[in-house]
Amino acid sequence: MSSEVKLPRLGQGMEAGTIVKWLKSEGDRVEKGEPLYELDTDKATQEVEAEASGVLLKIAVESGEVPVGQTIAVIGEEGEQASVEEPKAEPAPQAEAAPVPESEPAEAEPDTSRARHSDKTATARPQEKAEPDTSGARHGDETATARPQENGGGGRVKASPLARRLARERGVELETLSGTGPDGRIVADDVEQAQTRPTETRPVPGDVTEVQQPVHSAEGVESVPLTKIRATIARRLTAAWEIPVFQLTVSADMTLANELVERARELNPGVRVTVTDLLTKICAMALSRHRNVNVQFTDEALLKFATANVGIAVAATAGLVVPVIREAERLSLAETAQARADIVERARDGKLQQADLEHGTFTISNLGMFGVEQFTAILNPPQAAILAVGATEPRPVVRDGEIVVRPMMTMTLTVDHRAIDGADGADFLRTVKSFLEEPALAL
Amino acid sequence: MPELTYRSAVRQALADAMRADENVFLMGEDIAEMGGSMGVTQGLFEEFGGERVRNTPISEMAIVGAGIGAAMQGMRPVIEIMYEDFLTLSLEQIVNQAAKHRYMSGGQIKVPLTIRTQGGAGWSPGAQHAQQLEAWLVHVPGLKVVFASSPNDARGLLWSSIYDDNPVIFFEHRLLYPIKEDAPAEIEPIPLGKARVVREGTDVTVIATGPLVHRSLAAAEQAEAEGISVEIVDPRTLQPLDTETLVASVKKTNRAVVAHEAVKRMGFGAEVTAVLQEEAFDWLDAPIERVGAKFAPLAFAPPMEQYVIPQTADVLAAVKRTVARS
Repeated sequence: MSSEVKLPRLGQGMEAGTIVKWLKSEGDRVEKGEPLYELDTDKATQEVEAEASGVLLKIAVESGEVPVGQTIAVIGEEGEQASVEEPKAEPAPQAEAAPVPESEPAEAEPDTSRARHSDKTATARPQEKAEPDTSGARHGDETATARPQENGGGGRVKASPLARRLARERGVELETLSGTGPDGRIVADDVEQAQTRPTETRPVPGDVTEVQQPVHSAEGVESVPLTKIRATIARRLTAAWEIPVFQLTVSADMTLANELVERARELNPGVRVTVTDLLTKICAMALSRHRNVNVQFTDEALLKFATANVGIAVAATAGLVVPVIREAERLSLAETAQARADIVERARDGKLQQADLEHGTFTISNLGMFGVEQFTAILNPPQAAILAVGATEPRPVVRDGEIVVRPMMTMTLTVDHRAIDGADGADFLRTVKSFLEEPALAL
Repeated sequence: MPELTYRSAVRQALADAMRADENVFLMGEDIAEMGGSMGVTQGLFEEFGGERVRNTPISEMAIVGAGIGAAMQGMRPVIEIMYEDFLTLSLEQIVNQAAKHRYMSGGQIKVPLTIRTQGGAGWSPGAQHAQQLEAWLVHVPGLKVVFASSPNDARGLLWSSIYDDNPVIFFEHRLLYPIKEDAPAEIEPIPLGKARVVREGTDVTVIATGPLVHRSLAAAEQAEAEGISVEIVDPRTLQPLDTETLVASVKKTNRAVVAHEAVKRMGFGAEVTAVLQEEAFDWLDAPIERVGAKFAPLAFAPPMEQYVIPQTADVLAAVKRTVARS
């Protein structure tokens, strides 16, 4: 029995994914649990494992964007025939319009919203004519004359395959372009010249498209197409900017924290414990005591979380990602370091799984290693707080009326004011500061 | 580096193979004392004698049949069919025998036969002596098909054809025999199934064979003057086809022209075009253009012949259509 490999839904709200490449070829033996292909979702590029053992009989989709649930390959037994039904052209998952009944006659004038998603229909059924065949002769030339001569006439948009692909990848709507190719065909250059807009897979509060877009064709300007991750970062941060926030800044004396990190390194030679690990642990403990900070705001309710799932902002090659250390309050310092080392390494190798990025309740962004003294971070929605951590450096401070030099670290908490009041945020930050200065208090 | 003509390149590959391996021998019409109707085998009878450079009766079926028999017995015969138009007389032996024995014997029998032939228009040989029939043979599983466009390619590919254990149809083009290029003294074998990027470019890939490689080069120079950068790829081996190189080039340039002297309709270029759209559809920014002979027998009259076969201007026009703007 063969089994179909369908594009999995790897996270809430995932409607489609982009197959980057297959790690097996047709005819290869595949064991259940073995990495089968690389999938790019709007959160991460990850390897997806085979759910069945057998021979990879057929790869139905070599690469490109695929809606969730579509069959992308077939695994079966050696010699078995694999056939994959051509995916029926259906409206995109979030299409506003009602689904089009399949029995709908092909002559019907498609509305423009459907035309956008119905490229497959058009290519899969080339013989269907827009009008009854009256000419009889010159069969081959007829399709060209049956097509509208101009784009935007309500019919099919005439665009080269490359232009279609670029438009798809860059989120450019072909309907908005006028083609400069023969007979008004949209060619790749037209897409390149067009203003690009990130694909909107979910609504963004407010209208951000009015922002003046940079010109792409200027001399000496390199136009780098947005990766999914880059588009997601842009979309999420733009959404985050809409949230009313306030910032709180404190500095902590890191003398004891540094000693603790040093001691932890001696005791756990197998893993390098860092200040970030201590911060993760301490923030988790502080969140456990300040549950009104470990929250998320929704229009209907305030969600309070029982565990502290702490996200660590990581600069991966492809862009910023925030893998999450779950239930950080339960981990020892060494376990935290272990978990952090694992996700950071996988983030840098582009091997994060969707699950690594989900269910965070709080984020730490540490730029101390770059010598940044202090900065403010932008919220990582739907989370309600993010801690921006600067460098630990010797600074003069006053102790018992004397000026002394101490290793000081400045951190700034950005807070979603819809969810958290100023005093609650300040109280939480005071706890973090006291835990850092006196780590034993965190016990 | 010494200069080598296409004709002497073929001759050198034959002579070197015969010197290196006594199983290699030649058969064909008038190839011995006369040295072949195109002079390719001149001097070989004198060096190797009548046992190894054998004249045959005027029966293409018999020549190919004898070649198949010798090949099955372990020889590496290289036979010459004087004009590729005459291949039609030997197709039973080529298609039903040479191409099938290895498969039907479960691999127990090999047919390491090389069939050299030449053809092509451009010198008024008329309708029966000028056709380009490579498409007939690339359609047959079990055969390899080579069409060299340069002296170095002819020499290196013929050597590999002789030492291939399968029947190979080796097409030469009449107009290419006198062309020259620098060549190392020693033969450098060229593996079958590898295309050659003849000229690098960025705007459009011209996939060309035989004389159309040279016409495409001329067209590319003219296009360059108009700011169009043309890449030219010669598949060299038509079967098996190096789709990887062709597809990679088209993915780079996003446009393709396929050019050969053979009749365009149902031609080899139709297959190349189909492969490109199958494997590079999402990279194509313009319809793939085909350049080939008009669907008509070739005339004796030079102006009529020139009208039917594709010229440099036809390639240039196709190149421009791929980058055209309305």
